Amino acid sequence: MEKDNIALYPGCSLETSSSHYLKSLRTVFSVLGIPFRIMDGWNCCGATSVKSIDYDLNLQLNHKNLALAEEQGIKELVVPCASCYHRLADAEYTLNKDEKLRTELNGKNDFTYKRQVKVRNILDFFVNVVGLDLISKNVKKPLSGLTVACYYGCLNTRVPPEQSFDTGEYPMTMDMIVKALGANVIDWSYKTDCCGASLFITVNSIAEKLVGKILKDAGLRRVDCVTVSCPMCQTNLDTKQKTIRSKNSIERPLPVPFITQLMGLAFGCNPKDLGLNKNFVPLKSILSSCSVVKNEDE
Amino acid sequence: MMLLFWVLKYKLRCYNDYDILLFMGIIELEKRKILYKETLLCYQCAKCSSGCPLVEEMDMLPHVIIHLASLGLERSVLNSETIWICASCYACAVKCPNDIEIPNIMNRLKQMAADEGFEPKRKDVYKFHKVFTDDILRRGKVHELRIMIEYNLRLGKLFKNAMLAPKMLFKNKLHFIPPKAVKGFRKWVKKTS
Repeated sequence: MEKDNIALYPGCSLETSSSHYLKSLRTVFSVLGIPFRIMDGWNCCGATSVKSIDYDLNLQLNHKNLALAEEQGIKELVVPCASCYHRLADAEYTLNKDEKLRTELNGKNDFTYKRQVKVRNILDFFVNVVGLDLISKNVKKPLSGLTVACYYGCLNTRVPPEQSFDTGEYPMTMDMIVKALGANVIDWSYKTDCCGASLFITVNSIAEKLVGKILKDAGLRRVDCVTVSCPMCQTNLDTKQKTIRSKNSIERPLPVPFITQLMGLAFGCNPKDLGLNKNFVPLKSILSSCSVVKNEDE
Repeated sequence: MMLLFWVLKYKLRCYNDYDILLFMGIIELEKRKILYKETLLCYQCAKCSSGCPLVEEMDMLPHVIIHLASLGLERSVLNSETIWICASCYACAVKCPNDIEIPNIMNRLKQMAADEGFEPKRKDVYKFHKVFTDDILRRGKVHELRIMIEYNLRLGKLFKNAMLAPKMLFKNKLHFIPPKAVKGFRKWVKKTS
């Protein structure tokens, strides 16, 4: 792993509504000994909204991001947000494939993209660049006794096959990370079901129905928490969980920690450094199971 | 001219109006190519419709939309709710045996609907996308609180999602102050558009 060429593309939501994701990422990176560098001058990827209205603008925005990353000597652009990852990977794929389009955008856009930067999803980065060995080596308080459902959401794995690091139908990378932390992982048919994304704001009834289905199945399987790596999924599953739970008659609250928050807990980091207080559904159950392990050690 | 059209359409069974017009030299190839190429491989297995998580909310099934587009009748779907309800989750694209990127086609249809002056069937969805895009063009980054407020104002439903705001503000998840603008972004927007 060449540590100097790695940089993070945080995306808009990690600076505001999902700041605890960024915080926990910073903590986990420092434990793993990876320099925490954020790319300079990045702009929004456009998410699903811009491409619905103007696909060319979306491509230009991401062309600018990729070219800027290259200018800064970045070889591995790590993207924690699933939506940003999907847009950047799509731009990378489209521009690599279509030389005519690339030269046209390079001329028009003031920036030159030379196909030297690789866009990596955070899960891909943890499994294929950092390695599961290094992760399991750093585990101080194994999460044994914790049953976890891994929720990938849509956009993490559903990129064009040439870009993909995992299968779109039944991905396993997050499961592998959680297993390395010592927790039990369930086989789950809902791991790539849609949470509704921006319909959560625009057409609430549809999104609530979709989130309800996911949470209901997780509740029936008696998991302790549902872990995610997408800020949009986290917001949708977490924010209105109380009302959705009462509508679908789900008894127990289901905490929705980010994968990095679980990693931080297993690494023995201070919960404050992981931003656990920002999750709407409190992570008490997880914390107590961690402390059980701690008491046994003593 | 009309006779030729009639012969081609009803006697020779060329039921694709666009191909007839193309054959007669009335429209150009560029225009005809819009969605033809991407949808040509579809053989109507309907995997996209069976795997779609939002299909029960749609008024026209995804594979029907693809079929109509492959026949060159994409204009007949511009008035549907489906293109706006689609959340771009790509479940269909993963399942498609011919690797047709259906959400991209949905996006093209949305843009086509806007270009041709169709009223968006789901204005609530369209307005959100518009507010979001406008906000990005302002400073290169998204200001979530402003988007929520502006969206509610444009929609005329002031208290939509209002229950979320105090919770989010309390946890410091929404900020009153917009994020710092990306350096030189406005200039870049002016130059490229």
